[in-house]
Amino acid sequence: MTWFVLIFGRFLVAGTPLLLGTIGEIYAEKAGNLNLGVEGMMAVGAISGFAFAHNTGNPWIGFILAGCMGGLLSLVHAFVTISLRANQVVSGLALTMFGVGLSGFIGNEYVGISLVPRFKNVAIPFLSEIPFVGEVLFTRSPVFYIAILLAVVFWYIMFRTKWGIIIRACGENPKTAESAGINVYRVQYTCVLIGGVCAGLAGAYISLYYIPTWIDGMIAGRGWIVIALVILSQWNSLKALFSCYLFGSIYVLQYALQGSFLNPTLLLMMPYLTAVTVLIVDSKKTLKYKTGSPTHLGEPYIK
Amino acid sequence: MKKFFNLFFVVLIVFSLTLASCTGNGSTKKDGTGPGEPAVEELGVKGKKIKAGFIYVGPVNDFGWTHAHDQGRKFVDEAFDWLETTYVEQVSEADCPREIDRLVNEEKCDVIFTTSFGFMESTFEAAEKYPNVIFEHCSGYKTRDNMGAYFTDVYQIFYLNGLIAGALSESGKAGYIGAQPIPEIKRHISAFTIGFTEVNPEATTTVKWLMNWYDPAKSREASESLVAEGCDVLIFSEDSPTVVEVAEEHTNKGNQTYTFSHYSSMKHYGPGSCASGHLFDWGKMYQDILTDVYTDEWVSENMLWLVDRGTAILGAEYGQPINEIFVEELKNKKMPNSDESVYDFVMKRYEQFKEPNIAFDPFTGPLYDTDGELRIEDGVRESYSNLSVIDWFVKGVNAPKID
Repeated sequence: MTWFVLIFGRFLVAGTPLLLGTIGEIYAEKAGNLNLGVEGMMAVGAISGFAFAHNTGNPWIGFILAGCMGGLLSLVHAFVTISLRANQVVSGLALTMFGVGLSGFIGNEYVGISLVPRFKNVAIPFLSEIPFVGEVLFTRSPVFYIAILLAVVFWYIMFRTKWGIIIRACGENPKTAESAGINVYRVQYTCVLIGGVCAGLAGAYISLYYIPTWIDGMIAGRGWIVIALVILSQWNSLKALFSCYLFGSIYVLQYALQGSFLNPTLLLMMPYLTAVTVLIVDSKKTLKYKTGSPTHLGEPYIK
Repeated sequence: MKKFFNLFFVVLIVFSLTLASCTGNGSTKKDGTGPGEPAVEELGVKGKKIKAGFIYVGPVNDFGWTHAHDQGRKFVDEAFDWLETTYVEQVSEADCPREIDRLVNEEKCDVIFTTSFGFMESTFEAAEKYPNVIFEHCSGYKTRDNMGAYFTDVYQIFYLNGLIAGALSESGKAGYIGAQPIPEIKRHISAFTIGFTEVNPEATTTVKWLMNWYDPAKSREASESLVAEGCDVLIFSEDSPTVVEVAEEHTNKGNQTYTFSHYSSMKHYGPGSCASGHLFDWGKMYQDILTDVYTDEWVSENMLWLVDRGTAILGAEYGQPINEIFVEELKNKKMPNSDESVYDFVMKRYEQFKEPNIAFDPFTGPLYDTDGELRIEDGVRESYSNLSVIDWFVKGVNAPKID
């Protein structure tokens, strides 16, 4: 029983940064802009979150400023791809390389420091006293609750409000949206910015709670997993809840299952192997049905 | 457009000039021959000056392996006037040849220390390329005329840690977070388990492999899953204090978990859980090597130092073999079938390790492997050459099969 409580708890811890990144990237992509720079924005989020928290002594300041830094970085991508209409894939890849390199450069002096002002687990009164469920779900870091809340709110805005229709229109057919009086550029800028802020927060979660230290390359491919998770979630942040925590569980199980019949080296490949498998299975589906993929995704909009 | 390009080139030239002058300043300062400082040679100091370069696999602040080496570097740097040191941190195995080239050609190092097993091949090749430079490689076995090998093995200390863990653990289950499945780590796991099962014959050690020397994220997941499996002792060979932090978190939640400092003092990360540990004092070894280089007595050899030379140390922190909050418990706990307390026994063994002819070795038969096969005959002490290539685990170890 304790094994389940502890292991399930770890699923949620490991899945939360993926969730934060995914729900943001869904917005950018729904508005028609593919941002492959998530890895870079998460890396910058991680180092700026760490640096600000370490220097101010308050994890919340680090967390919020990390979101700002992620957003700032995404605006570079937005300017290049929306205003200058450059290729989104190239810009996104450049953003990843730039972000990872920049984070290593800034982070050089923070290597090896164990962060003192870090996020602590918060027990929600009453709910946390429910056996099993209480310990797994309601004694987590504050960011976990924020991430879940954001996922639900983001879903509601996207599929139940007029704003959602506007965003989706920009991703499906920007010309039509423009003729309906929507400022497509402004919508796309906003959505890319949301994606950047979320990626920054995801990075900060890693360096402020998950592993409260800074190491070069600590995002370790999670940004790319996020891109795959957007597809797996079919551009729906409620489905993202499921897929992200499924992937979180894979990060944990690669160690929990060591010592079973599975080879450890094989287990260490699991997150990446699963991502590839999911993409293959999913690509078959996308050919046949509408899975939520925006029609205009990846193409620059020219008035 | 042409005007723009002209302007661009002007800016570029100015920028590169500024950059060049900046780096120029930096290097003169580093050499210590700036205009303000007296030239040491002219003052007639009898000997030469020696410059030593260190190549580290991890960051100097990792509080593990690399940190311990860097403490040694700082020690010799301060101890000798004639010595100048420089280092490169976080060097991947593939980058090692390039960094050696740089240290030889640009930094003009006379001695180069490469401090990771994975640097062995590139050091070996570089030693052929630069016959006038002395190379010292840590934790390997290859040597040349101008390349030596040096190492301090802490497996005896791991055995002592095992004794302490056996006395403290209530579940009798220890978790070992192993970095890489190489003989050194396998030897440490077995040495720990020999001590662990000596106090508690039912005890077992569960191993999880990370396949990485430095990765706090993996280390955290692996140690959390070991705690979930019921281990109340965590011992590790990953180079960050992450495992100590995990143990401290669980201890603070009321689930007392014991852990051990790894290579550098980590007690301040887990004051309530760090019972003891295995520490290095590389300074003594570097002092020995560099003095030989300075007096031209250096010859290539394969140096292996143990507890008796003072480079392998028992302690959660330096100067304190066992964390004071656990001393009482260890004094009250008796060794099986004996009146001797575990505390006295640990100290007795530690003293035996320090004796010049080393009165005791953990790998003394009879020892059985995990399949129950007799590996070391009764009363036989295993040679270090056999231990250095050990590929089996003693009984009580529960490790996933890699190959």
